[in-house]
Amino acid sequence: MSRITKRFGGLAAVDEVDFDLRKGEIHALLGENGAGKTTLMNVLSGLIQPGSGTMEVEGRPARFRSPQDAIDRGIGMVHQHFKLVSRLTVAENIILGQTGGRRLRLPDLHEVGRRVEALGERYGLEVPPGAFVWQLSVGEQQRAEILRALYRKARVLILDEPTATLTAGEVDRLLEGIRVMARQGASIIIISHNLDEIMSAADRVTVLRRGKQVATLDRDETDQAELARLMVGRDVSLVEVLTSAGERREEGGEPGDADRRVVLEVEDLVMSGESVSPAGGGARELRGVNLTVHAGEIVSIAGVEGNGQAQFEEALMGLRTPDSGAVRFSGDDMTGARPRRVLERGVGYIPSDRYRHGLVRELSVAENLVLDRIDRPPFGSPLRLRSKAITARGAELIDRFSIAVRSAAERAGTLSGGNAQRAVLARAMSEELRLCLAAQPTRGLDVGAIEFVWQQLREQRRKGVAVLLISTDLDEVMALSDRCYVMYRGRLTETPLDRDRIGLAMGGVAAESGAGVR
Amino acid sequence: MTAPAPPPAVRSRRWKDRIGSPVNVVGAAAVALVLGAGVIAVAGGNPITAYADIVTGTFGSRSTITLMLGEVTPLLLIGLGLAIAFQGRVWNIGAEGQYLVGAVVGGAFAILSPVQASVVLIPAALLVGTAAGAAWGWIVGKFQAVWGVNEVISSLLLNYVAIFGVAYLVRQPLRDPDYYLPQSKLIPSAARLPDLPFLDVHAGLLIGLIFVPVVIYAMGRTPFGFKVRVLGMNRDAARAAGIDTNRLIVKVMMISGGFAGLAGIAQVLGVESRLNNNLDAGYGFTAIITALLGRMRPLGIVLSSVFIATITVGGDIVQRSQQVPRAAVFVLQALFVIVLLVADKLARR
Repeated sequence: MSRITKRFGGLAAVDEVDFDLRKGEIHALLGENGAGKTTLMNVLSGLIQPGSGTMEVEGRPARFRSPQDAIDRGIGMVHQHFKLVSRLTVAENIILGQTGGRRLRLPDLHEVGRRVEALGERYGLEVPPGAFVWQLSVGEQQRAEILRALYRKARVLILDEPTATLTAGEVDRLLEGIRVMARQGASIIIISHNLDEIMSAADRVTVLRRGKQVATLDRDETDQAELARLMVGRDVSLVEVLTSAGERREEGGEPGDADRRVVLEVEDLVMSGESVSPAGGGARELRGVNLTVHAGEIVSIAGVEGNGQAQFEEALMGLRTPDSGAVRFSGDDMTGARPRRVLERGVGYIPSDRYRHGLVRELSVAENLVLDRIDRPPFGSPLRLRSKAITARGAELIDRFSIAVRSAAERAGTLSGGNAQRAVLARAMSEELRLCLAAQPTRGLDVGAIEFVWQQLREQRRKGVAVLLISTDLDEVMALSDRCYVMYRGRLTETPLDRDRIGLAMGGVAAESGAGVR
Repeated sequence: MTAPAPPPAVRSRRWKDRIGSPVNVVGAAAVALVLGAGVIAVAGGNPITAYADIVTGTFGSRSTITLMLGEVTPLLLIGLGLAIAFQGRVWNIGAEGQYLVGAVVGGAFAILSPVQASVVLIPAALLVGTAAGAAWGWIVGKFQAVWGVNEVISSLLLNYVAIFGVAYLVRQPLRDPDYYLPQSKLIPSAARLPDLPFLDVHAGLLIGLIFVPVVIYAMGRTPFGFKVRVLGMNRDAARAAGIDTNRLIVKVMMISGGFAGLAGIAQVLGVESRLNNNLDAGYGFTAIITALLGRMRPLGIVLSSVFIATITVGGDIVQRSQQVPRAAVFVLQALFVIVLLVADKLARR
């Protein structure tokens, strides 16, 4: 692949990237969220078409209009979220999509099963072909996905975050299978954040950052520290721009020093996945989370997305009930409390998905701004909504938080991203808070809106509010935090505020020992 | 001379929202009438005279108007309850069962009550029927809240429990031993709903009409109605803002079931003379069509229930005048809803 560029809107998700894959090679693709790894691989597998650039497969130029084109040229992709039909057997899933066209008869399933078994034995990736997918563990489902690609004679296999949901034993088995495949001439691309795995399995590594190719290195010529540094970057960035504009962290005399009250305490929080096959036993999304946040400090949770941050956020707000462990708020047990109770205890919530959990597009801005207290005076009594009070509060908050909107009666759906987030902040911060939970508060915002959000969070800290920031943006973590944890595979590790250390921890390398955490 | 500023985009969108849905209804009605004409022609009738007969036949005489208003009453009452549920995207398909339970429990209460003074008996029986319907709805809401059972499935299946439960009750415990047919004793005359002045229609219609402004107010001007609307717009945001969606769904199901139960007991006290299998007349299902056609708005449901009642009564008339089977009319009702749903989808593009 050379000079591949793909833009979404004005943003180049992949910018002039060159990528080559050798026969029999295991090539890792490393980068933060939004670095362009998946986009690049979606181009390669025919899911999306590049804006510019060219591809060659085995010496001949290639243009894929659909995944089928890519499959025809021997390229198979195993997605992070499996695309299997749970009520069909493994064998049925494998022939799915090959049954179209003019053929009326299904292929002989016994024959398919025998071939699948043979493939499985060859690579140590056995899955019973007659088993229904819903009976399989996550690892077995993944093996079925891989076998499907191999069955279709894939010579290039792309694995998107293949180890993210696997147990340690399953990871070893998968990596061994991949090595066997490579020895037998297949070429494999692994998208991963896990530095340990990359070092143990890959022959070469390509690092992407913000759509650009940073480096392509031989495994033997690099180490984890270098990879982490390349992934996280050291370029002059937004942080320096904003902090040099006079917003540098308050020196000395931080309120945190005087007042070290513990506001939020989380102990051994465990929560299972929602809808995983019964045999799989439910993937653990949170595997024992421990955390403390004091009044007047900003504590960050950094990490690559999908390591349990969204689940942790929902568990804290009472949107989902954890299996075990405890959440204490100013000393009171709030484990599994309903959202209403959590909010009433002075928690301001800035949800990671501002349209799903934050705003109701069909309602007016003013109604959105009082959504969480619509049935309380002065906005409502049991038999009446006080629209005057609602509009007045709306106008006041629109002014205070500089929300660009024609009137308080305008629909929230008409707000731009930055203004929508200002509205979410306005609602969360309109009352005195004790804890502010801000999840991905600046995602997708422009610089001006980011600066506003950061100011507001710092303002809360100054007032003595405990701020818990969940962010995948390392610049943001570095700019705001007093302390930092990294979330990796459902666990938190407290990490010093140091880019390289955080980068290593994001890749699953524990801060102290350098040993892998699974 | 300055040109007037172009209207802001938002204003025009709101205007379209407000006006768009009646336009959809009228357009959908026109398309459905054309398709229905085809059905009537295939069934051997003349569509134009058939449509004319439906309207003139229904509004042509006092007795047919009475019949029509009698059909309006249960559709309006059930439809109002469904409107509340549907606005919260709680898909209660169980109004038929809630109606039957309200009818039978309320009716049995009227028959068995030791007190037989109208002043007490009528309101008490109405309350009992309403409560019974609400209880039937509560089951659905609770199943959804506790185990996440889809309300469409549980409410639909509870219809059959109610239908066969009623069949059992009128065969065994409530049966009038003096009769061969499975039916209860007569509803006591003290429990009969009085007719409205100048009309031969029972007071249930008036109850329904009184509830129209009540529902409009409750949905538009109270925190409860607000929360139900938010439930329908964005359930996740409602939860994150501290609205207890599970409890709200239970309440909505109880209110919706209560309206259906009220319709059932009003029908028993106003129209029927005994409890029997004929109670199962399908109003609970037709009211779904009524609520959807009325855009889940109380005033819309007044109009749509008159409309549905007209083609129901008119259908009988056409069956006699043109030998077009009644079933063709029911096809027409279904066509209206399907065309309307398609029109909504197209309008949203």
